Amino acid sequence: MLYSQILKIFWRVFLIILAIAFMVFAFPYIKDVLIMFIIAWLLSVLLNPLVNFLEHKGLGRGWAILIVMVLIFIIVGFSFSLLIPRIIRSAGSIISKLQSDVITDFSLMIENFFEKNFNNAELGRNVTAKLNEIGIKLLESLGEFFKSVGSLLASIIIIPFITFFLIKDARRFKRAIISQVPNRYFELSLNILHKVENQVGKYIQGQATDALIIGILSILGLFIINLAFHGPVPYFVLIGMFAGLANLIPYLGPVFGAVPALIIAILNNPPNLGLVLLWIVIVFILVQAIDNAFVSPMVVSKSVNMHPLTVVVVVIIGGNIAGAMGMLFAVPFTGILKVASSQVIWGIKNYELRHPSRVGENLSKKNK
Amino acid sequence: MENPIWGNGLFKKKNKEDDIFTTLKKVPIFSDLTPKELTEVEKIVHRRRYKKNETIIRAGDPGLGMYIIVKGSVEIVEEDEKAGKRTLAKLSDGSFFGDMALLDEDPRSASAIALVDSDILGFFRPDFLDLIYRKPKLGIKILLALARVIGERLRHTNELLAKIQEKKD
Repeated sequence: MLYSQILKIFWRVFLIILAIAFMVFAFPYIKDVLIMFIIAWLLSVLLNPLVNFLEHKGLGRGWAILIVMVLIFIIVGFSFSLLIPRIIRSAGSIISKLQSDVITDFSLMIENFFEKNFNNAELGRNVTAKLNEIGIKLLESLGEFFKSVGSLLASIIIIPFITFFLIKDARRFKRAIISQVPNRYFELSLNILHKVENQVGKYIQGQATDALIIGILSILGLFIINLAFHGPVPYFVLIGMFAGLANLIPYLGPVFGAVPALIIAILNNPPNLGLVLLWIVIVFILVQAIDNAFVSPMVVSKSVNMHPLTVVVVVIIGGNIAGAMGMLFAVPFTGILKVASSQVIWGIKNYELRHPSRVGENLSKKNK
Repeated sequence: MENPIWGNGLFKKKNKEDDIFTTLKKVPIFSDLTPKELTEVEKIVHRRRYKKNETIIRAGDPGLGMYIIVKGSVEIVEEDEKAGKRTLAKLSDGSFFGDMALLDEDPRSASAIALVDSDILGFFRPDFLDLIYRKPKLGIKILLALARVIGERLRHTNELLAKIQEKKD
């Protein structure tokens, strides 16, 4: 009895190690597919409420998914054919601008500033070099990110395809997975799975809504500045989108969001530069105020509040692992982990796992 | 259940004659449903097999949903540290238990143990809440039937209570 149990445990551990080894070995080959799956999963999490809503309104689930998928195709097709080439082009021209002579003027300005105020030109040089480096890295990795997801054309077709089946068959996949769980852990696993799914879904939906609103508000603000000052901030759509994404990082995000707008305005060097810069700062502060006062409290779940120190540490680690993209998605990723682990801990605390088959044991004793 | 990874999900034939369908039909809280609505329920129930003496639900665990016996026999037991184990009921094919857990997450009041190898369906609160949102008409039907079942039990309890009080007087 004991021997067979030990053998059983040995086989389980062996299989798990084998699976991990296989994944490590296969990772380079499946990386692209994995990224596509993650994007499709995120899309399915974001679109599922829409499908459920249409179903709630009386549509069949098949029709609901079909309508939402057509919407995705339009949006994805539109963004891939129009937006992304433009983003890559403007990212390219921003990079070349950063590397051109204008940047030296800007660097000199900062160096002078540091020399005047701190009597330390070296520090100024370091700061500009670092700024330059970060800016270029950020934009390059943005371009690379879009290129690396297989070939673009393949992604356009494959991602919606995966998304479709993730939405359509999510329940069946879940049932198939849960059907493999031993009876003893069945309710626990099912309950945790539901709670994690629910909380993580809410978290992702909240973050996405927040990023979208901040992006739109930033674009709007910069657009108004452009109207008022005869276009001192070109690429404002790209900058606004970036600000929305950067908002995924609490505390640091708003600063990351405003810096590109400020740099581009300085590079563009309009006649009343000081006033323009002031207005850009005001716009971003205003957007932040609106976010903190109205948007965030409504859409972002409170359970994922992170200490500023955690945010900084996580952002640095994310940056080390996957560059600028890592920095951007480090906090949401940690948020997902935090939400999920809190649910797992809840389950372990509330289900009686310490005496796994107490009742059954007593009964079998009695039957004997 | 067909394997969703390898099975063809798009063009499968529906076999309505299987025992899940007929078992669901017998359960009071699904008795008002049309065959089409029953298929919706069938999509979200979990089928489990329990060996003899295996615990299905444990007293004290958070309630997650109800179980319906397709084939087999289940004993509902209450365990008390002083009084020991007490059998509350023995259930067989077509019976259900744990239905209160469809309404809230309060801890289970009793344990359920399979008396013989049993084939059991689970119908759980998160899926039920999701169904209520997605198909409100169907959800209301099930909720009303559930209220009826619980109301009937309450009436029965009241009668028992009245009898006990009469005896005391």
